Amino acid sequence: MTVQAANPPIAPLVPATTPAATESGDLGAPLYVAWQITNECNLACLHCIEESGPGKAFKDELDEAQIFSILGQFMDHEVPYLSFSGGEPMVHPLFFKMVEFVCARDGQLKIETNGHYLTPENCDRLKTLGVKAVQVSLDGATKATFNRMRVRGDFDKATEGVRNLRAAGVPIEVNYSPTYFNVHEIGTAIDLAYELGAYSFYTGRTMYTGNAVKAWHKLALTEEQYLQFFETLHRKTEEYRGRMRVHFHEMGLLDELRYRLHHPAALLIVLPNGLVKLINALPFICGDLRKESLMDIWGNFQRAWQDPRVAQFIDDLSRDPGKTSSLHQWVYV
Amino acid sequence: MRLSKYVKFREEKFGGVLFETRSEKVFTLNAVATAVVREINAGADETALVARLHELYDDRDGAIEREARAFIADLRLKGLVQD
Repeated sequence: MTVQAANPPIAPLVPATTPAATESGDLGAPLYVAWQITNECNLACLHCIEESGPGKAFKDELDEAQIFSILGQFMDHEVPYLSFSGGEPMVHPLFFKMVEFVCARDGQLKIETNGHYLTPENCDRLKTLGVKAVQVSLDGATKATFNRMRVRGDFDKATEGVRNLRAAGVPIEVNYSPTYFNVHEIGTAIDLAYELGAYSFYTGRTMYTGNAVKAWHKLALTEEQYLQFFETLHRKTEEYRGRMRVHFHEMGLLDELRYRLHHPAALLIVLPNGLVKLINALPFICGDLRKESLMDIWGNFQRAWQDPRVAQFIDDLSRDPGKTSSLHQWVYV
Repeated sequence: MRLSKYVKFREEKFGGVLFETRSEKVFTLNAVATAVVREINAGADETALVARLHELYDDRDGAIEREARAFIADLRLKGLVQD
């Protein structure tokens, strides 16, 4: 047995906060892959940043062979945490097969859904397969606000879906997007999430992009509303401490992007056609999983953040916040 | 002793990372801390783990053992390992 001469001390266990806050630096692979597996959705939400909806699947979404080849790479490189979102991921015909693939290889998988397909049978299946958590979007504490935001959606169906998750024993997270007309319900929405059995509640500022651009006159919050919103969130964080995690991003988009420019997260965003984005809030594409390996893209991800066009876009954003409306006009870096 | 259900471990060039996916917290580990977690991940109990560190490192003053035990206590405190 080799005895090493140098004895570096064991460093104290200091958390690097969240995967999104973990810098990609010297990591050999991403820590988190957020995969939008389809752009198809049963709903057409006013604020959807992906412009998803019925009939909105990309024409070039990945086929079965491509999907499982890519998933295999993620597992081979020990990407510890994945999420499947959309669109609505549960409408993807290979959804359960993909879930099974990841869970069978010991990947930690979160599903981000609108909750409308969370039947008792599907929840039991998710439990059996071993998903880490299911995150359900509940943008409102009442039918009136939820149904207004989630066009074609049904508050009762979504909350019933969450109850089915609870009955099946699947860990639950709730996500909430604030708007002008639902922001007053943030406190009761958090209470509702807890009553429904959630262990975590996420929210932040609603982005001016995707469908929200067209509906902004109905959605935009005033600064006063945001002040009250974050005040309530701070209060609720304390109220639920130890029982449910209330997690929110108070930082505005511009500050977040300026920080990320120098501290890229160890996170890849994969689009339904296999393109990889630098970060959701920028239009830059740093790879194509149909043509390049995960490792090649991971290498390019680090370099792409240094591309002057990225810094320029963020700089321009400070003068023209409306630039986020062009996030779907991809720029290859 | 083993890693808790929602904790993932991956070795890196600099050492390793522990990722608690429920709270979404990531902990970076240096080489020695990585050696400790590698042994835990392989199913070693604390006694076997310390013996293994004695094999791997020159620990005549017992510093590594003390640090390893403190580190394991911290892992337990943070819910990253369970017995």
